[in-house]
Amino acid sequence: MKVLVPVKRVIDYNVKVRVKADGSGVDLANVKMSMNPFDEIAVEEAIRLKEAGKADEIVVVSIGVKQAQETLRTALAMGADRAILVVAADDVHTDIEPLAVAKILKAVIDAEAPGLVIAGKQAIDNDMNATGQMLAALTGWSQATFASEVGIDGDHAVVTREVDGGLQTIKVKLPAIITADLRLNEPRYASLPNIMKAKKKPLDEKTAADYGVDVTPRLTVVKTSEPPVRQAGIKVGSVDELVAKLKEAGAL
Amino acid sequence: MTFEISYEQRMLVDTVRGFIKDELTPLEEMIEQTGALPDDTARAVFKKSSALGLYGMNIPEEFGGGGLSCLDQMMVEEQFGHTTDILIRRAFGNVYEVLLSCTGAQVDRWLTPAVKGERVCSIAFTEPGAGSDAAGIKTKAVRKGDKWVLSGMKHYISDGSFSDFFVVTAVTDPSKGHRGISMFLVDKGMPGFSLGRDQAMMGIRGTSHLDLHFDEVELTDDHLLGTEGEGLKLALSVLGRVRLAQVAARAIGKSTKILQMTLDHARDRHQFGQSLGDFQMVQQMLADSAIEINAARAALWDCAAQLDAGQDVRTKISALKVQGAETLGRVVDRAVQIYGGMGFSKDLPIERYYRDARIYRIFDGASEVHRSVIAKTMLKGSTSVFDPWSA
Repeated sequence: MKVLVPVKRVIDYNVKVRVKADGSGVDLANVKMSMNPFDEIAVEEAIRLKEAGKADEIVVVSIGVKQAQETLRTALAMGADRAILVVAADDVHTDIEPLAVAKILKAVIDAEAPGLVIAGKQAIDNDMNATGQMLAALTGWSQATFASEVGIDGDHAVVTREVDGGLQTIKVKLPAIITADLRLNEPRYASLPNIMKAKKKPLDEKTAADYGVDVTPRLTVVKTSEPPVRQAGIKVGSVDELVAKLKEAGAL
Repeated sequence: MTFEISYEQRMLVDTVRGFIKDELTPLEEMIEQTGALPDDTARAVFKKSSALGLYGMNIPEEFGGGGLSCLDQMMVEEQFGHTTDILIRRAFGNVYEVLLSCTGAQVDRWLTPAVKGERVCSIAFTEPGAGSDAAGIKTKAVRKGDKWVLSGMKHYISDGSFSDFFVVTAVTDPSKGHRGISMFLVDKGMPGFSLGRDQAMMGIRGTSHLDLHFDEVELTDDHLLGTEGEGLKLALSVLGRVRLAQVAARAIGKSTKILQMTLDHARDRHQFGQSLGDFQMVQQMLADSAIEINAARAALWDCAAQLDAGQDVRTKISALKVQGAETLGRVVDRAVQIYGGMGFSKDLPIERYYRDARIYRIFDGASEVHRSVIAKTMLKGSTSVFDPWSA
């Protein structure tokens, strides 16, 4: 079975994000970029399926700027077999909207015919949490989102999902779209030999136009702003005091 | 002519940094408290790092190492500086390039096991009367038929308690001065070879510093590393890269980590109604540290790239030994100052970094010795260390 894993290049999770002075977005100049952490988990899960003999090829795909090939190389160094870069923007500040991404992925699926797609549940830059679900709708495949455990059972996947209030286990028919949650696994480091091997693995470059997808944004970003600075808290000595303070603050 | 960081280099650094952060840093405080890294923990660390190909990365692939270029190695060594000496030894190995002089049966007996991490090696050059003056040793090896008889003592031998074998310098021809010194591979447990006391040190806790005693240890020619009488020359030819890696690059890494921590503290700590970073005298300290680290790293990469190109960079290595060590000294001193009482307290690692930093100006040739080397070289007429147009 071939597994397709979409990966996104985002601001590294360790970076202290700065909003641009004109409020038009986030400042990406001289900022460390990395693979979206949920996508890293998705790549790791695909590699584990391959190691367990449940998958035989892992194809990673990234849609965005040319620099996303570094993100793909990271996935190849972790253990993916080959990569597809779909260049859909020139400017690193351009974010491709989930529906456009899903349409391109649908076209990639039509060409590659994978038996399974594992995606991150969301990207940590704009937290849309939409691409996996939209892709399921476009392909008509089953979806199993927020996975914390994945098993392959014949022509089905058994997926434990993290839902409000607990865990839900569902069985979906393959091919399917799975989106990875935080606790699915702990991604491995790329080993030195695999980093060197990644150089030689194939990386195909395409454009959004090759798939006939219009990536023009449908959404308008009105304003980007820093979250409000958190006010210093106070310590209360008793429940009575807590209740009194909450009433004072108009919260009760 | 730019140093553009390749994605392989970035990924490698990410792997090493991540490994240090997740696997090594959590062990540091325990080692500091107990003074030792338990053997089973050491083995577990080694197993994980070697599975990632991170052990012996400096050694060429044909001998089972990682085959990194000198420049790549320096980038990785800089990251090593983010953790402690003993953890670097266990996780990434201390496989000295001098072992690449092994020939014939020596390869399988000493080199290959060292690269694989099956046997650990220490360098034993230092003696009570011979520190920076490596030619002033008293340990001698005397020809007796087809054997060598080794007698004398070494001290401050780093990692001596853990190591399985030692590269030992000994006088083989007293009439020839530094051209009468040879190197021998000596296994722990050989008759006449005994371990002395472990010298407690100001810092780098967890690494042992042993006295070694050689009482008529019988060696064969198989134990002779390189050519007789060429020991010091061989040592000096390969120790340059070690010095660049283990002192300059690691000192730059330590400085970088410490400045990052200091910046966080300057941002978060408030006094007199403003953050420490709002005070101009603190700003000066932060900026000076950044300027010095930046200059040292640029010099390191330049030197490493020249080493890869096969150029003679001995004077530059001396310069970097001093520059790295002294940058670290100043950066960590400013860190203690900015952290204030907290920097002096044992609740934070800053005071440990301060103690650990002090040896950098001493080991592998004291700053004064290297300055002297630089000055003498320039006075003799070779000035490329500061004037690339002169060479």
